Amino acid sequence: MLFSLRELVQWLGFATFELFLHLLALLVFTMLVALRADMLTPALSWWLVFVPLFAADGLSTYFTAIVSIRLYQENEKRLAVLRLLWVLTVLSLKLVCEVLLCQKLAEQEQARDLWYGLILSPLFILLQLLMIRACRVN
Amino acid sequence: MSLAQRVLLSYVFTLIFLIMVVLKLDGKVQWNWFLIFLPVWIVDAILILMLVIKMAGRCKPGYDPRNGSPDLRLRSWYLTATLLGLGFCLTLCAKLEKLAELKLSIVCIPLWAMMVGALLELGMNIFPERREV
Repeated sequence: MLFSLRELVQWLGFATFELFLHLLALLVFTMLVALRADMLTPALSWWLVFVPLFAADGLSTYFTAIVSIRLYQENEKRLAVLRLLWVLTVLSLKLVCEVLLCQKLAEQEQARDLWYGLILSPLFILLQLLMIRACRVN
Repeated sequence: MSLAQRVLLSYVFTLIFLIMVVLKLDGKVQWNWFLIFLPVWIVDAILILMLVIKMAGRCKPGYDPRNGSPDLRLRSWYLTATLLGLGFCLTLCAKLEKLAELKLSIVCIPLWAMMVGALLELGMNIFPERREV
């Protein structure tokens, strides 16, 4: 819409397959959130609801590791290291945000001091990094 | 719009939206949820306007469809996806403001439709249709 797929792949530094994986995980996650909110099923803990997002992060890390190893073997060492560093940074920031949010939702009473500004701070850092990367890509 | 302008637009509006959501969730402001979603309404309005202008441009006499721009079917899908996103945000705000007694699964239907469409589009890019030679 605002960006073409080619521009998104260049900007975000993720392959199309990884974008597909994260979007699929988000779809399953929203379905589980709706199920938890509507059915009020106590068996479905918040940690279970967040499993698709954690799984997507894990699979994406595995995929990136494989791609980086292949790039390294093909003598594209600089590209391999840069790609690995970028994707790991993005995924770790995303993971921190997910874990903090999940903790806040799962332990409402104990996590009272955990305010939303703190939970979403990795996203603010990620936004700045994406802006810097956009300048490079542009 | 150039890529830099589009990146700047999405950056500014995402940043403002995130800040407003954080302020609302932490109870620092007591604004209406429709006001919190203001950056989303603005971006959606810009997107719809851009798509409608581009689609209308195809109806001009002398338009050459081979100039490399995405076809009408793709543009129609983008417009549908934007409207679905807008529908989701509107119903979500109505639920949060308790204007309507809606289940979250009903609210999420436009979002799911949009995501399934986006997944299909991504899937078609990953596994392109094989053409007979």
